[in-house]
Amino acid sequence: MKKFLTIFICKLLRFAGKLIGKGSSKPGQVALKLCPDILSRVQLPKYIIAVTGSNGKTSTVEMIAHILTQNGYSVAWNKEGSNQIEGVTTLVLGSATLGGKVKSDILLIESDERFARYTFRYIKPTHYVITNLYRDQLTRNGHPEWVYDALADSITDGTQLILNADDPLVSSFGHGRNNVVWFGADKLSSDTETLDSVYNDGAYCPVCKSPMTYTTHHYNHIGHYACTKCGYKRQNTQYTITSVDLEKGEMTIDGKHTITLALKSLYNIYNILSAYTVASIVGVDGAKIAADMNNYVLKNGRVITFELGGRQGTLLTSKHENSISYDQSIRVASACKDGCDVMFIVDAVSRKYFTSDVSWLYDIDFEMLDNGSIHQIVLAGKYVNDLAVRFSYTDIPDSKIKRFEDIGEAVDFLNSDRREYIYVITCFSDKGKFLAKVKGE
Amino acid sequence: MMKILHLYYDIMNLYGDYANVAAMKRMLEKNGEEVTVDKLTLGGDIRFDEYDFVFVGSGTERNLRVVLEDLRRHTEGLKAYIDSGKTALFTGNSFEMLGKALCDSTGKTVDGLGIFDFTTAEQNKTRWTSDVIYSCDFLTQPLVGFVNKCSEIKGVSNAPFTAKMGLSNVDGDCKEGVRDKNFFGTHLTGPVLIKNPHFLAYLAEKVLGRAPETDYLTFERAGFDVTLCELSKRMGNA
Repeated sequence: MKKFLTIFICKLLRFAGKLIGKGSSKPGQVALKLCPDILSRVQLPKYIIAVTGSNGKTSTVEMIAHILTQNGYSVAWNKEGSNQIEGVTTLVLGSATLGGKVKSDILLIESDERFARYTFRYIKPTHYVITNLYRDQLTRNGHPEWVYDALADSITDGTQLILNADDPLVSSFGHGRNNVVWFGADKLSSDTETLDSVYNDGAYCPVCKSPMTYTTHHYNHIGHYACTKCGYKRQNTQYTITSVDLEKGEMTIDGKHTITLALKSLYNIYNILSAYTVASIVGVDGAKIAADMNNYVLKNGRVITFELGGRQGTLLTSKHENSISYDQSIRVASACKDGCDVMFIVDAVSRKYFTSDVSWLYDIDFEMLDNGSIHQIVLAGKYVNDLAVRFSYTDIPDSKIKRFEDIGEAVDFLNSDRREYIYVITCFSDKGKFLAKVKGE
Repeated sequence: MMKILHLYYDIMNLYGDYANVAAMKRMLEKNGEEVTVDKLTLGGDIRFDEYDFVFVGSGTERNLRVVLEDLRRHTEGLKAYIDSGKTALFTGNSFEMLGKALCDSTGKTVDGLGIFDFTTAEQNKTRWTSDVIYSCDFLTQPLVGFVNKCSEIKGVSNAPFTAKMGLSNVDGDCKEGVRDKNFFGTHLTGPVLIKNPHFLAYLAEKVLGRAPETDYLTFERAGFDVTLCELSKRMGNA
């Protein structure tokens, strides 16, 4: 009876919440209060697929849901991205009958890294994807090894781990463990032999702390590595990006499935590969997956095209406090051949909590913008002075840089008769302040 | 010619701490000095007496242990450097190595370098983080910044800072960091000397032996003002 009531109330709150546009974590929060072990009382489907990691969770989960749905599976997933235990509870109970049986073929859960150990205490994933561990929101997360330890607590026996072989820290979850599937990329044409990054989180072996060497870097510390001492090294992969042409916008998986990319970033190809891996494991044919991913445009609104006066542009939602996310966006902008302007906004460091920490700016490789096709760089927001100081430590000529504390003034400056394409790189916390002033897609 | 040592540059550099070296280098150069920066790491041949400024940044708890074992062979050199009154800045958890003992979350204790008498104890339940405002008696303005740690330090006899807001050495006591002559250890992380141009000027004066020219720090000062204002508002609301 308690179970019935809890599920009923959770569904009711969710329904009411949707009507008034409220988020999806409250109903689960109430349900957990009413019945703390409710998650262990529901009947779960055969496939419980969890996805976690620093970057790409939301996109990967969306892609997995898309592929599986296209291929006839019913999928319950946390579309709204509420990825802590409350949001997952809302998802599970919302997809369950009042008797407590989840009706879908597949339960697909995006989980926050730090809270996975609470969520998966009750819901044990059958398949557990870990995408990457980067310096991400360190003002809350501490550092990648701290997150690693928290995630290690969420992994139980019997779960099949699906790991990014190219990330040394993530891959070490599978060290000495059976039942692991590795995905990753072969040496790619866009690779570099030496590290192109401000810092190197792959300098030392995660297992024994001896120096590591890389034969190739896909980006940052993601690549092909081997410890010089203990033998820890990148694993061979079962699902593999065999080639990529970012200029043309194409990737090939396992040498046979070519996918046209709607978003030409290395990030995107990893998200597609991890979705491909999961869908293959569930039983979808590779050619079918490739067709479903072909030209797939994410619906989560992270890449937004806009018009400003007579000018065109794209906002690349990046994450403040996450240098690799910025590096990826900067890479997209700096690859622009015809010349472009780039704008950065740091106004509120986070939308969820207060901090004025800007140390993460020093981990971003702004130096990539020191090329002839980047014409004007516009810095804006409350922390414009910190951005200005950070840029003073690059080789980019000061004459290219314009600074505005007021975002409106920065937009007015860009609203000129210049013809260059505009890239705006900022975070969820600040993008609305820009988009309110332009014509969206 | 002035020499800066950026020690453990590739393993103790979690929060953009390297920027402190860049800031000091620029400051010395703006003041007419020729500057070289040596970046050394594990196994390096460290001769402290050659340097005018030594910097070590923050690392993970596991990396701190690896570095401590490497630094142990240079304990005397580092002690002599500090005793001679030369300037050094250790940010984040790096100065914890210089105490008597370092205890991890499982209770396992290793000896520190024993240059100071304090002891450090880590835990692995909660990451303690906060924006901070620190005051001190040798600067007219406070320091601002961020602390990101999992440890508490007991037994510091000469802490340079007082936490007006945010984390200190140990809960219940607002003293923060450790100082001996011109050695400064603080849990502040990241680009401390960029966020606090007055602290940079203070340390540069120690390094140079004269008051430095600091007029070029326009954006740094404006950035400091904004952050101090934001943090003060925050403190007012708390």
